[in-house]
Amino acid sequence: MATQIIMDLNGDTRHNFDAKNVKALLEAERRFKALTGAGFTAATRTASGEPVVIRMFDPSVEETLFFPRLVGG
Amino acid sequence: MTLLHDASDRLRRLRAACWQLARALREWYLRPSTRELRGLKLLREWLSREQLAQYDAHRYFDVVGNHTARRYRIYHGNGANVVELNDAALPRTGWCFVPRDHLVAGDVMLAQKIALETDERGALAAANNFTPR
Repeated sequence: MATQIIMDLNGDTRHNFDAKNVKALLEAERRFKALTGAGFTAATRTASGEPVVIRMFDPSVEETLFFPRLVGG
Repeated sequence: MTLLHDASDRLRRLRAACWQLARALREWYLRPSTRELRGLKLLREWLSREQLAQYDAHRYFDVVGNHTARRYRIYHGNGANVVELNDAALPRTGWCFVPRDHLVAGDVMLAQKIALETDERGALAAANNFTPR
């Protein structure tokens, strides 16, 4: 089961999906494009735990974290 | 004499009960909300072992910028909580950058960590700087 985690006002919202299910995969890709298009950064982790930013939807990624655009405070 | 002793004892017990109640009320008032706990749980999942140990001990953790290898200290908080350290690990410059949406502290710190470790220049370009205390 793959997961997309979106940081939001509730802390985060998680969307789990079966990467072998074509319909679920298309929905996950649509969500990825919608979020990154809205300025969210998508990040995943390497096997050693280091964060990596991804620009394209990758169906093999198990966990993707999205956070809103950063601005000066 | 016994009456006075009894009254004093009751007063002492009442004071202890009030003190206990006040402490319980304070803990209840200061308890983290569910969303704050969720943010902290997510942060903890993404911190390296060293960062997690540092955070648990000091309520801050250090990250290394991916472009310059400079060290930054991210303090618990959701604004004006990032400090660039010099070679002696002393504060050099404060950097203020936060996610556009209002997020809990755990989420803010995690976004700052990922930004500095994957796109240091981009993060600093968005940031305002300040003189750390």
